[in-house]
Amino acid sequence: MAAASSSDSDACGAESNEANSKWLDAHYDPMANIHTFSACLALADLHGDGEYKLVVGDLGPGGQQPRLKVLKGPLVMTESPLPALPAAAATFLMEQHEPRTPALALASGPCVYVYKNLRPYFKFSLPQLPPNPLEQDLWNQAKEDRIDPLTLKEMLESIRETAEEPLSIQSLRFLQLELSEMEAFVNQHKSNSIKRQTVITTMTTLKKNLADEDAVSCLVLGTENKELLVLDPEAFTILAKMSLPSVPVFLEVSGQFDVEFRLAAACRNGNIYILRRDSKHPKYCIELSAQPVGLIRVHKVLVVGSTQDSLHGFTHKGKKLWTVQMPAAILTMNLLEQHSRGLQAVMAGLANGEVRIYRDKALLNVIHTPDAVTSLCFGRYGREDNTLIMTTRGGGLIIKILKRTAVFVEGGSEVGPPPAQAMKLNVPRKTRLYVDQTLREREAGTAMHRAFQTDLYLLRLRAARAYLQALESSLSPLSTTAREPLKLHAVVSIWVQGLGPTFKLTLHLQNTSTTRPVLGLLVCFLYNEALYSLPRAFFKVPLLVPGLNYPLETFVESLSNKGISDIIKVLVLREGQSAPLLSAHVNMPGSEGLAAA
Amino acid sequence: MALTVVPSFSVSGVWKRTQFPVSTESQKPRQKKAPEFPILEKQNWLIHLHYIRKDYEACKAVIKEQLQETQGLCEYAIYVQALIFRLEGNIQESLELFQTCAVLSPQSADNLKQVARSLFLLGKHKAAIEVYNEAAKLNQKDWEISHNLGVCYIYLKQFNKAQDQLHNALNLNRHDLTYIMLGKIHLLEGDLDKAIEVYKKAVEFSPENTELLTTLGLLYLQLGIYQKAFEHLGNALTYDPTNYKAILAAGSMMQTHGDFDVALTKYRVVACAVLESPPLWNNIGMCFFGKKKYVAAISCLKRANYLAPFDWKILYNLGLVHLTMQQYASAFHFLSAAINFQPKMGELYMLLAVALTNLEDTENAKRAYAEAVHLDKCNPLVNLNYAVLLYNPGEKKNALAQYQEMEKKVSLLKDNSSLEFDSEMVEMAQKLGAALQVGEALVWTKPVKDPKSKHQTTSTSKPASFQQPLGSNQALGQAMSSAAAYRTLPSGAGGTSQFTKPPSLPLEPEPAVESSPTETSE
Repeated sequence: MAAASSSDSDACGAESNEANSKWLDAHYDPMANIHTFSACLALADLHGDGEYKLVVGDLGPGGQQPRLKVLKGPLVMTESPLPALPAAAATFLMEQHEPRTPALALASGPCVYVYKNLRPYFKFSLPQLPPNPLEQDLWNQAKEDRIDPLTLKEMLESIRETAEEPLSIQSLRFLQLELSEMEAFVNQHKSNSIKRQTVITTMTTLKKNLADEDAVSCLVLGTENKELLVLDPEAFTILAKMSLPSVPVFLEVSGQFDVEFRLAAACRNGNIYILRRDSKHPKYCIELSAQPVGLIRVHKVLVVGSTQDSLHGFTHKGKKLWTVQMPAAILTMNLLEQHSRGLQAVMAGLANGEVRIYRDKALLNVIHTPDAVTSLCFGRYGREDNTLIMTTRGGGLIIKILKRTAVFVEGGSEVGPPPAQAMKLNVPRKTRLYVDQTLREREAGTAMHRAFQTDLYLLRLRAARAYLQALESSLSPLSTTAREPLKLHAVVSIWVQGLGPTFKLTLHLQNTSTTRPVLGLLVCFLYNEALYSLPRAFFKVPLLVPGLNYPLETFVESLSNKGISDIIKVLVLREGQSAPLLSAHVNMPGSEGLAAA
Repeated sequence: MALTVVPSFSVSGVWKRTQFPVSTESQKPRQKKAPEFPILEKQNWLIHLHYIRKDYEACKAVIKEQLQETQGLCEYAIYVQALIFRLEGNIQESLELFQTCAVLSPQSADNLKQVARSLFLLGKHKAAIEVYNEAAKLNQKDWEISHNLGVCYIYLKQFNKAQDQLHNALNLNRHDLTYIMLGKIHLLEGDLDKAIEVYKKAVEFSPENTELLTTLGLLYLQLGIYQKAFEHLGNALTYDPTNYKAILAAGSMMQTHGDFDVALTKYRVVACAVLESPPLWNNIGMCFFGKKKYVAAISCLKRANYLAPFDWKILYNLGLVHLTMQQYASAFHFLSAAINFQPKMGELYMLLAVALTNLEDTENAKRAYAEAVHLDKCNPLVNLNYAVLLYNPGEKKNALAQYQEMEKKVSLLKDNSSLEFDSEMVEMAQKLGAALQVGEALVWTKPVKDPKSKHQTTSTSKPASFQQPLGSNQALGQAMSSAAAYRTLPSGAGGTSQFTKPPSLPLEPEPAVESSPTETSE
């Protein structure tokens, strides 16, 4: 833990115009080794001495070493290992007695660990879920050996198919087993009572009966089995239980438990459910069509960040008010509350290393950070009222203090036409030559046009002639003869391999007709006998099955010792006809073997 | 409940395929005390938090750990792994994992929905519909199921069923996406009015969705309801001042009104964001053309042409600008290229004929005019130009026929719309009428006195050119270009005037729209 003082704050160099910034850089430690979520950050005067501490439920690097860290100023004050990963941390007042030091609650697995004065005080465990009576019955039968494993498996499977609630893990494990292992498993586990335990996914606090800043609060827990629980702050009994259609991820509460409250729960199915005191089930539902990444209440507006890189504002009845698009993915969100100016705003940490602060849809401020911020928290820290605490993806810790003179003004940066509007269009320039040519075209346009047309006709004429000639003499390597009853489509391609004086010439023949094979073809090579010799200058082609590629190989010996190369003509003929079906010219390479010698 | 698509395999079998090593720890028979099982859902919250942060590597690490600990029984871990697979493009793998989830908890509609979604992404729409129907049995009131069923039906071209499902989805819960899909169906069916109705409702529901606003604006534009089109495009630009589609559409409307400077400033925004957009450079080019900066216009149009060599509108504009620059040989090439891509447009042949006339190839010019007259139905300019060409060598009779044809079109246009004619064209027609000794039967609507358009027409039509013999090449070219440069504003949907050059719209939203060229070219 580096004991970095505020002097190294210029490491946060991203904030270029230091003087104009609304923030003072108090502390930056890129190696603070804090890996956590916004839900696991809490600020509280834990010892009642007016010095606010930062409580961090740290997951540890890679989620391996969960720890409870308490920071005072830039330093870690205490650090203690946790039994499991913390899901949420909250501070709350348990009772009215003096001294009014808040307790710390840490949700982890199925338990809430409550600390007072940073000493373990109470451990609340979620009650066991009732097992399915049918399932219970089956295992009881198994215990008394009245049921064989196969029947047990079938019965359990039928329960799984039909029952609303899932089976206990013991049954699920059993269903996975092979036949041979069942007996042993049943014998081993039959005496255990079947259990279903759930875990806490999120936690927040709710004032009990007073709206004051320092009023007694209840804990509100969201659990994996789609329930919300409200706990009594003193006795830790369950005061209320509400059920949701999906697993809650983020909670936002307003009001008092004994009077009236509203609870908004962002859930894993992408919906946000809004409940009230008297409702056991959600009263309103907001469907986001994306996953929520944060849920913050600002006055009466619910601000939701979604995975589609946008912030949405909703009323308490689920009506959409506005949408703001972010430049990058939102990683975390939290509330910024400046009591002295009565300001409430939303902070969003983005994947591009920005922290944006919005009041409704108006951007108030952008903080550039050296690394993407993964958790945020704003409030009183130490003796400073407006402190922003951020941890980064790499485990760094950034602490910034809001200047006392700083006033957030709406829309400092993004009002008016976009900056691109002032940029000059990049119109391609034209050269002097272009202008000259234009002038010439104006003068002699007609002549140019005529010359062009004449040339074009000549070109077309020549192309047509060449084509006709090629057709007449079958000079093309592609044949489509339609004269014969057997329609022949054949393609020839030729490879020449070797350096000389001996080359290998490979002729690839392919019958491209779809159905009919070709029989009775001959291949003939025409060449200058003074330059080359071929073992077989004329041979029959085997039957050509449609579609297949037939490589026909022959050796060519170069006779010339002067490195002269010539053309070898390859003709494909039909038996009994003198006109070739196909022809190809092979430009033989010079014999390098001789040239070198 | 019977799963129709999901093969019912044993869970352990799947896990062998999906490469999560299963620890054999608890399968060892132990003598005395049975081991405590870990809670299956212990780290689901962590998986979810990593997943929504798009930190997929960390997410995968937790999933792997969780699955090892629970021997592949943790449904949510498999579910998220499948979601990540799908995001990474491994749809087949994701499908298999979702099927595993469906086996682990057969009562969950969500798993079935995801199975169906993967099937949908694999293009197996029918199978997807079957699974969605299964899911719908488990959860009646899910807009997502209805919406996705609707989308599947769209791909199967069963538009009626698709509409039913989408309306169903809207009844359950209203979403922008559903409106967009519903509008798309109407566009595919070619029913613009219904599409507009849908988009109107959508905009009411979600007034800040720029995509909806832009689409609605473009639809109004196609119907020629310019006021509303501009209103919606303007709204879209208020919420998102860099919206490419909206800027291009609004810019093209400004161009139609002759506000070239405003349009150009708007285009600058797009030019920064989308550098290589052919319609953008086309429109910028035509702005410069409107401002009489012909060299810049040609530069921009050539860039557009370089970016989209097969777009006939750009070639048309290039031809037009070259005609104005009296580079007839170049104009000929651009126009003939345009005709190769769009052989069904009378104006193109007319411009080609003008070019040919100037290249002193009267025979071909006549043939081009004949083709133009044959193809064109409502543009009197074609006939007028043809008549002038015929009149000059003395073919008075044919010229007269064309003149009368022109009169017919003019009176037709006047009946259908309060269209104003280009003053230069009127003048030319009157001169020709006098020369052909036809009684002045035609009452031309007065040319507009709008200072902007006045400026345009007067500056192009040099008075000198009218002193020349009637219908000389020079005058013809002038008449042509000025008429083409003049932008008319037809207010009725019926009589569309086509002598405006088409400023390109941004990518038309629907293929169905593209098939009606008269609409898109405006």
